[in-house]
Amino acid sequence: MELLINLTINGLATGMLIFLLASGLTLIFGLMSVLNFAHGGLFAWGAYSGIWFYTLTGSFFLGILFALITGLVLGFITEKLIITPVYGNHVQQILITLGFMLVLTELLKVVWGPNQMAAKVPSYLAGSWEIGDVLIIKYRLFIIFVGFLIFGIFQYMLQKTKIGLVVRAGVMNKEMVQALGINIKRVFLYVFMAGSALAALSGVLMAPYSGVIYAEMGFEFAILAFIVVVIGGMGSFPGSLLAAILVGLAGSYMAYYVPALSLAVNMMLMAIVLIFRPQGLFTAKG
Amino acid sequence: MLGIIAIALAIFPFVSDSRTWTILLTQIFIFSILAMSYDILLGYTGIVSFGHAMFFGMGAYTTAVMLKRIDPTMGTFILSIGVGMLLAALISFFIGLLTLRLKSHFFAMLTLAVSGLFLVLAEKWRTVTQGNDGFTFKAPEFFKDRIMFYIVVLAILVLVYIFLRRFVNSPFGRVLVAVRENEQRTRSLGFNPLHYKVIASVVAGVIASLAGSLYAVSLRFVNTSVLTMDITLDALLMTIIGGVGTLIGPIVGAAIIELTQHYLSGLAKDYPIFERWIIFFGIVYILAVIFFPKGIVGTIREKLWKRSTKKDAPKSVPKKEDL
Repeated sequence: MELLINLTINGLATGMLIFLLASGLTLIFGLMSVLNFAHGGLFAWGAYSGIWFYTLTGSFFLGILFALITGLVLGFITEKLIITPVYGNHVQQILITLGFMLVLTELLKVVWGPNQMAAKVPSYLAGSWEIGDVLIIKYRLFIIFVGFLIFGIFQYMLQKTKIGLVVRAGVMNKEMVQALGINIKRVFLYVFMAGSALAALSGVLMAPYSGVIYAEMGFEFAILAFIVVVIGGMGSFPGSLLAAILVGLAGSYMAYYVPALSLAVNMMLMAIVLIFRPQGLFTAKG
Repeated sequence: MLGIIAIALAIFPFVSDSRTWTILLTQIFIFSILAMSYDILLGYTGIVSFGHAMFFGMGAYTTAVMLKRIDPTMGTFILSIGVGMLLAALISFFIGLLTLRLKSHFFAMLTLAVSGLFLVLAEKWRTVTQGNDGFTFKAPEFFKDRIMFYIVVLAILVLVYIFLRRFVNSPFGRVLVAVRENEQRTRSLGFNPLHYKVIASVVAGVIASLAGSLYAVSLRFVNTSVLTMDITLDALLMTIIGGVGTLIGPIVGAAIIELTQHYLSGLAKDYPIFERWIIFFGIVYILAVIFFPKGIVGTIREKLWKRSTKKDAPKSVPKKEDL
């Protein structure tokens, strides 16, 4: 029983990190129908810049803030330089965002060096609670909390605010939104920047969780995020939460019970979903 | 023209005895074969696969394992190429059948995932692959001489080029281009696009496996790096920079990238920034996608075409839209 609880918390924490990464991806796809293969690069940039600032200032909170700013700035640059010139051409979009991913990863090595970087859990989040026989690691609970918090904030913004209304309308019909006098291009930019900031946040939270960060982590995590986006349904925000939790839990249980299959299980899950239900488990409607 | 270059390249190792150049050129030929196979998908059929490395790796591992386990002879080498190609054909056929009816996004992602799966498999299946450490093996006696191997690889490159040119100029190849230009219209003309895409992906997979087999023998060593995304990225860069939708383009691209890589990593000893040479390719690649979507060869060809017709012929830049 203790084991099961531990595995579940583990899976939930991983799932939340994937959710933060995947939610940006799915929002961008739903609104702009751009599949951003450079998303993992933004994730790695968030991790590096956040941890760098965290070690510099000694405050994890400032590190997170710095990662968010990095995400926003990089998102702005990416949208303006990379996405806009090839808007509407899918093959070019796929090719160019993958190329940008390459550049981001290599630039990371130029700035911070090619070696791994250690990331420590801040003292107030380190350690664990013992409840009966169950050992609960604080940092994991923190991640789960942040994940649900972000989900709540975004869900509120999407459902209750004007900008959320515009975004939801844009997912349904871009031309109509434009015809109603809203500058959809600007909305694209905002959503892209928000998605990038989420990716960076996911990166900086991931860093102390895994202990070390390295430039290629972006790519490895991005694959999981893609899987989640596909399973959850492209463009569906709640779908990506559920799919991320599913993938996180499946990975955590499988890593314990059938270690050989732990990576394969997600790929198989995605393959099955793609073949039988290509639109994903949840369809995106606003 | 091309024949002259091929003959000049064939004479080259007998004139010059630079070992470095022989090895470098062999490497260029091998990657030319890989890039050409990739161009069948990207340039002619208009599908983006991020899993091309898996076929390359399949060929490399089949040849390496068979040469190590059975015996390092010419017969085994040829047999292993055949086995690798057969495996690649079967797997690309099944993957293609299952995934090619999906839209380009999904196909790109799924190929990425499946090739990731193969990489994990190779890392876990240590009894055969020895994981990331890899293993060395003996090449056939005949290839002990680098020049012999050079000639064989060059001959295979020429044969593959001729075969692929016939393939893309055949009625079948024309349908592939039609699928790239407009899938719906091709369907309405009575061709089943799925059928053509699957066969294109089988051809590309088989040729990539051949390139992988040669690559393994050229290094006499194999590890999981043959299955990584880097190989796919190499093929992608070579095809895009050289010119999509032309068979010469990927060869030019392979030569440019391998040569630049060679020189830049030489420069890296003095200027550490060049250790990250891939950044330059990344930037060139991004600029190429935006400004020269047809690559070097495609752009030159277009210029020549315009000059020879002396008319403002409508631009025939392929619009690869697929929604």
